[in-house]
Amino acid sequence: MTGERILVVEDNDKNMKLFRDVLVATGYRTLEATTGGEGIELASEHIPDLVLMDIQLPDLNGVQALHRLRENTRTATIPVLALTAQAMHGDRERFLSAGFDGYISKPVNVRDFIDTVREHCDRGLR
Amino acid sequence: MPHARPDERPSAVAHKRRPLSRIDDPFVRAVARLPVTVRTKLLIAFVGTSMLLVAVGLLGQLVLGQSNNRVASLGALQERAIGYAALQQQVDDLRDLLAENVGGDFYLVWTEVEKRENSKAIDLHASTAVRHIEAGTAADRLGFTPPPGDQGALASIRDTAHNLWRELDEELIPLYADLDGTTKEDWNRVRVRVESLSRDLKDAAAALSLGTRAEVDELIARNANSFASSRALFIGVAAGALVLALLLGFILSRSLVGPIQSIDGRLAAITSGDFSGQVEVENRDELGALGANVNRMNDELRRLYTELEEASRHKSEFLANMSHELRTPLNAIIGFSQVLRDGMVGPVNEKQAEYLDDITSSGNHLLSLINDVLDLSKVEAGQFELDVHPFSLREALQRGVVMVRERATENEVRVAFDADPKVDVVDGDERRIKQVIFNLLSNAVKFTPAGGEVDVSASQVNGEIRVSVADTGPGIAPADRDRIFEEFQQTETGVGKHEGTGLGLALSKRFVELHGGRIWLESELGRGSTFTFALPARTTAP
Repeated sequence: MTGERILVVEDNDKNMKLFRDVLVATGYRTLEATTGGEGIELASEHIPDLVLMDIQLPDLNGVQALHRLRENTRTATIPVLALTAQAMHGDRERFLSAGFDGYISKPVNVRDFIDTVREHCDRGLR
Repeated sequence: MPHARPDERPSAVAHKRRPLSRIDDPFVRAVARLPVTVRTKLLIAFVGTSMLLVAVGLLGQLVLGQSNNRVASLGALQERAIGYAALQQQVDDLRDLLAENVGGDFYLVWTEVEKRENSKAIDLHASTAVRHIEAGTAADRLGFTPPPGDQGALASIRDTAHNLWRELDEELIPLYADLDGTTKEDWNRVRVRVESLSRDLKDAAAALSLGTRAEVDELIARNANSFASSRALFIGVAAGALVLALLLGFILSRSLVGPIQSIDGRLAAITSGDFSGQVEVENRDELGALGANVNRMNDELRRLYTELEEASRHKSEFLANMSHELRTPLNAIIGFSQVLRDGMVGPVNEKQAEYLDDITSSGNHLLSLINDVLDLSKVEAGQFELDVHPFSLREALQRGVVMVRERATENEVRVAFDADPKVDVVDGDERRIKQVIFNLLSNAVKFTPAGGEVDVSASQVNGEIRVSVADTGPGIAPADRDRIFEEFQQTETGVGKHEGTGLGLALSKRFVELHGGRIWLESELGRGSTFTFALPARTTAP
């Protein structure tokens, strides 16, 4: 357990609780934001190792928030995964081409979720 | 569809330009704007052309008639000239005859008596000839009625001939009775008068004959002139009629074809989904009405198309939202169940673990139901787009067999796979075809009792690839065979299993049909069922 810090941007409190508990139980530290704006602030303040970004958020949507992160040199290189219930045919390709480093659809399979997070954290460290 | 729009704009503009250039022609425009029907316009054009033909024909007849008249008048004139020439000849002969008695060396060889006798015979002969000439000037002897202009000359010839005859008959010939009492002066006096009269006669006859011949020459020259001008007139009128008829046809056809072309162009644009233009037809006939109707149709189609697009967009948005809103709570349901089941927050007993597995699998079932409903809605709305690429059908089948093998083994069902070596790469949406294969295989395994068998086979028949999944299950009653391809329709056995969404076969049927293929079922109750789907084989080499 290396204790990387992961920023979760998620507006649904039950899902936030699930992701936080799974990540903490796996050994990560978490930062939590419920809006895109809050997520951007936390990211530039704490420079997390990975961002899990919901798409449908109350203020900015996930894609806009991603672009704001990329515009800021401090946060530009942080890997950002889309974590979304937008999982219709073609959505994965749409988000990857929008600039996300990865895509996890909801509902998640907890084991696959952890594997994907770990994979991107390791890649970020290398 | 909206993507296609910008490409079509230029062609729509081109369609609009064509009628504009056509309307530049004022004649075409005038004909187009005539407020009469096309039928009437055509009738007028045909009648007009026919009348031109009739006019040309009448003119031809007139010219021919004039020519004929001239030939007839020339004939009469020539007859006259010949008559007068004959008269002149007679007069000349008379002169020659008389000349023999006036001078001449033949007196020298004749005796005085012979001379007198001979001379008398000549003068008698001349007298008879003069009588002939006088009589010859009458109309019945000439053989034609002399025109009034000749009457004076003829009368003068007749009078002169009469005077000459009287001179010969009453003055000259009586001198022969008294040869001794007649002096040379007497002879000379009479002869001078005879000579004078005969010269007058000759001059008159010559004048008449020459005048008539000159008339003939003049008439011939006039004929040649008027023939040339008649011919020029005829050719001119015929050519004019031809040009007029062609022009009429050309203008009429352009006033009809132009609007038809622009209407056709508009219809072609409408067919390719461009409702932005309006056809401009100035005609006040059937074509004008047609153009107006095409415009109305265009507007109505545009309205319907916009509504349809709007409705379609709403439906897509609704489906996307529904998917999102259903998946969000499912994330918590499945996620927390898995967290608990994996003992992340403490140990669970066997019963709790079983319940948590049930929650997870029910959650997953609900998820696949959502996916199937969304797919089906898209197919129904015609929004489903296949992602067609070449892929190995053989590998897809092998993978499908592997996926169901675990469950088959649990159920003690043997799964056999046998594919024709020719069956490999096909063009299609790999994900969807795999979905069909998995659906058929999992159905077969699910319904086959322990000890049974599932046979998967693939072959190429008549240009199509056929994949069959045969089981030794309970079979499907004839009444159910069509029904099971419908949504939420399952056999009694299927309902009893409490598994599956009831959408699997309905979706499989639609996916196969979207590929241009078909799916069907052969079954015998108590013996088993065989589901077969066929896809078109590749036409090009991989």
